[in-house]
Amino acid sequence: MPCPYGTAIPHRSMPRLLLLLPTATYRAAAFVEAARRLSVDLTVASEQPSTFAQAQPDRLLTLDFRLPEQAAAQARAFAEQVPVHGVVGVDDDTAVVAAAVAAKLRLRGNPVGAATAARDKYRQRVLLAEARVPVPRFARHRTTEDPHAVAAAARYPCVLKPLRLAASRGVIRADDPAGLVAAFGRLRAILEEPDVARCGDWAGQVLVEDFIPGPEVALEGLVTGGRLRTLALFDKPDPLDGPFFEETIYVTPSALPANAQQKIADCAQQAVTALGLWEGPVHAELRYNDRGPWLIELAARPIGGRCSGALRFGSREQGAGSSWVSLEEVVLRHALGMPLPALERERLASGVMMIPVPRGGVLREVRGLAEARAVPLVEEVAITAHPGQTLVPWPEGSRYPGFIFARGETPEAVVAALREAHRRLEFVLA
Amino acid sequence: MTPPEIRISAEPVDIGRCKFLVSEPVHAGGVRRFASPEEAKGSPLVEAIFAIPGADVAEVIVSGGLVTVAKRSPTPWQVVGKAVGQAIRAALASGRPAVAAKLATSGGGGADDDALYERVADLFEHQVNPMVARHGGRVELIDVQDAVVMLRLGGGCQGCGMADVTLRQGIEAMLHEHVPDVKGVVDITDHAAGSNPYFAAAKK
Repeated sequence: MPCPYGTAIPHRSMPRLLLLLPTATYRAAAFVEAARRLSVDLTVASEQPSTFAQAQPDRLLTLDFRLPEQAAAQARAFAEQVPVHGVVGVDDDTAVVAAAVAAKLRLRGNPVGAATAARDKYRQRVLLAEARVPVPRFARHRTTEDPHAVAAAARYPCVLKPLRLAASRGVIRADDPAGLVAAFGRLRAILEEPDVARCGDWAGQVLVEDFIPGPEVALEGLVTGGRLRTLALFDKPDPLDGPFFEETIYVTPSALPANAQQKIADCAQQAVTALGLWEGPVHAELRYNDRGPWLIELAARPIGGRCSGALRFGSREQGAGSSWVSLEEVVLRHALGMPLPALERERLASGVMMIPVPRGGVLREVRGLAEARAVPLVEEVAITAHPGQTLVPWPEGSRYPGFIFARGETPEAVVAALREAHRRLEFVLA
Repeated sequence: MTPPEIRISAEPVDIGRCKFLVSEPVHAGGVRRFASPEEAKGSPLVEAIFAIPGADVAEVIVSGGLVTVAKRSPTPWQVVGKAVGQAIRAALASGRPAVAAKLATSGGGGADDDALYERVADLFEHQVNPMVARHGGRVELIDVQDAVVMLRLGGGCQGCGMADVTLRQGIEAMLHEHVPDVKGVVDITDHAAGSNPYFAAAKK
């Protein structure tokens, strides 16, 4: 299968990257730093204007991420003045815009249809099921339907999901018809919230799918010419059995047997092929049980939140002056067609905890930071919620108050360190 | 009477840079930046930080109760940070100044830095701050040392999810255009303390 849009255009001077950064991202610092390390010229596009947009028109752009084709046309007009050699989107929405821009500018990227399918949980499942990729049995319903009728048609246990929201917002398990009716109402209320309802027709739909038992893993990968390279496989040691699906700990390397890991990688490759993804990072979530791997989600973007901090590639031992390479640097290099470093993850086990929301309320203070940072193996405790911020628990919420990172000789030691650091934190809420 | 307990909180920015917030003032004479062990001579705290084994410290910036350390080594801050904390406690317990006062003209760069300071301050006052003010932000010029600008972001910029974009794509770019002699920019903002960021991170 030929590459739909060719590869990155050769360039004589410093390559320029168009980075699509939503203003609500956690990822700005990591990507901007990666661009600096690579010494590439950077243009940052966001959906809201920067205060420097007029003063620095080559470096800052405003694009409506809700309208990928329009954004791509704007990007093309921009590129006629300031040549662009690569484009990267950092989340589900900007991944689609990046695909549209790549098509318009003939840059390395995914086909628009593939990126669009990856963003939409229903469209994704249809394509995966058609390609015989193992996915839960699923059905799509409108929020206007009678939930009792939906409940009568479902199998239990099942999971209700919105078609697009990120960070497991609105994802609820139901064990019986009464539970489904309650969950349906709760999800409908989330979808009717103003920030969601205005996003499009998908906000009027609900996915109901079988609950798949078994441990869940996350696969971080890079697709080149349609071939998936696994960069890391994370175990999720806290069972994600519901009723809500707030993430907590990711740790790598996975403790699953090698043959199970291979089946998971094969399953993710099948999904990449079924969706038609061709170039760029992917983040997949799968379950594994006695029937093998099950594809739960596959996104055409790198891992979210601050979690990429748990990954670094290359080796200090390769030579004096060398240093670790971040996931963001790998993604930017790939988009620009620059040589990739060794994509071997470091030898140490590494993990991240997305700090759970303790309860709803306004954050006043976080105590115990010094004590948490003093836990052996803990490398960073980053509180991303700010004083005065309202913390909202799942399933309505989607913001983690912070992230804890640890590295050590074994995944077990890393997980223990993450839990101990978390135990030492106290969130004071009003 | 026992001396008051010195509390030190480490806030890693990334693997290469970490801020240490100290409950006691470490250096009251403005900001000082040290880019080598040679520059650290006469400042016991900074000498000690540069001497931390295996850290390969590249830069130390001291301002009031804030000590910012940049290192080249992949050794985690959880390890290096303990040594930095010990150095800070030892320096404060010694009763001697932890950091030497800035000389009027240090290494020939002082006069140039003074001139750069004036130009950067003018740029900030007349162009940069009116721009960031649209998002309720402000940029404070702390110092210029060896042509490196040290600044602090406040208001809507402090803790903002797009602060790095503002800094690198906006402020730094304008500095390169209008004051090309500036060699670098260091942000010494305590972003974790920002209580009203213009853009708060929300998406996964």
